[in-house]
Amino acid sequence: MVGIIQEQHPDRARLFMQWKQMGWPILVDSLNLLGVAVVPITLAIDEYGIIRAVNPERESLEKSFLNQTYPKPQGRAAAEIRLPDLKKLKAEASAGSASSWRTYADALVVWGGENRLDEAIAAYEKAVSLESAHSPTYFRLGVAYRNRYESSARSADDFQRAVEYWTKALEMDPNQYIWRRRIQQYGPRLDKPYPFYDWVPTARQEIQARREHPVSLLVEPGGAEFASPLKAFVKDQPVRQQPDKGGRVLRDKEGFIQAETALVPAAVAPGESLRVHLAFRPNLQRKAHWNNEAEDLMLWADPPQGWEVNSRYVSVPNPKTAVSQETRNVEFELKCPEKAAPGSVRIPTYALYYVCEDVNGTCLYRRQDLILEVQVKGAR
Amino acid sequence: MKLLLLFALAAFAVSLGEIVAKPSSTGFKVGEPFPSLVMPSLADGKPLSLARFRGKKVILHIFASW
Repeated sequence: MVGIIQEQHPDRARLFMQWKQMGWPILVDSLNLLGVAVVPITLAIDEYGIIRAVNPERESLEKSFLNQTYPKPQGRAAAEIRLPDLKKLKAEASAGSASSWRTYADALVVWGGENRLDEAIAAYEKAVSLESAHSPTYFRLGVAYRNRYESSARSADDFQRAVEYWTKALEMDPNQYIWRRRIQQYGPRLDKPYPFYDWVPTARQEIQARREHPVSLLVEPGGAEFASPLKAFVKDQPVRQQPDKGGRVLRDKEGFIQAETALVPAAVAPGESLRVHLAFRPNLQRKAHWNNEAEDLMLWADPPQGWEVNSRYVSVPNPKTAVSQETRNVEFELKCPEKAAPGSVRIPTYALYYVCEDVNGTCLYRRQDLILEVQVKGAR
Repeated sequence: MKLLLLFALAAFAVSLGEIVAKPSSTGFKVGEPFPSLVMPSLADGKPLSLARFRGKKVILHIFASW
């Protein structure tokens, strides 16, 4: 028994395998190099690497495959298993085609580590400039951007770029369900087929109950990745006044907290919803810290008339330590009016937070305004 | 028998994020060689390929943990 997993985060697959106590060899295909459009797929492969059955019947597997004898094909030697030669691939790409740029970029993402993601992105962009109609390149480019977003080399708009490239790939090939799921993983609840990683807490509990230590996750699943599907948009009930209606709180002009935004999907048709992802990171160059002895971080969204929001006011609870430097994530959802005109719509939001300059430095109460630019497509 | 048990386990494993695959939509054809792709092993990140299992019959499960 051998597996190939379609997963951007191998550590999550590792946790899953630990939970289910499955120890068979697994290959990680985070770029979907296999090109499968759906999962699961089961293949029966003979001693010579030839596919003998696709999605075979479980009950007859022994008779129809395991007990069969297959002829040895002529001239088929097993390929050597070794790391790709990145220097050689780069030389081939520099002189070559979109395909050679793509092969080089694939190798950089899979084997080059996070320090080479900039090169991988550049190589994919070269590939799409030479061959704009190859949809898998856009998907892989999105994976590279998301990988960089989760690395120390992050750029603020990497997540949004990932979503845009996944969307472009899916528009070109709408039957690619692996790609569709990648967008839905981070998207609004109306578009979700199921919660993606709701099994993680159960897995950890059951692993710990066995007196084992659960595999650590490099990136914890976020709100969208746990959220259950919905059949109708649940509009926010007004629960409180907006916290700084008059705009009197001083703005964070010093840049103590750096905010990043991503909209999933990047563009909506009238009547569709989207999920807003906001990340607030203390500016490490300024040694900024959250002041956790004061109130929680608050976010207020003020969409224009006709737009619905599932949670106009969101707060992020402070941890128990007096100060901290973690990234604080906020997610909420918006629904575009049924009669919205195509074009760009500005959604004003602002965050209020208590931040300190260094551990024993001055602590300040600050506001940061964020304008979300939502693109409305033509009517469906 | 052990193999069949693993097969059943694998089928359970993928039921979480299942996108039902119809035989015609998988892209794989009976009688063709499986692509010789080298990918990282989930266990240790080292290069691994189906070629490692030449000489043995393999039940290959392509799945997701989401």
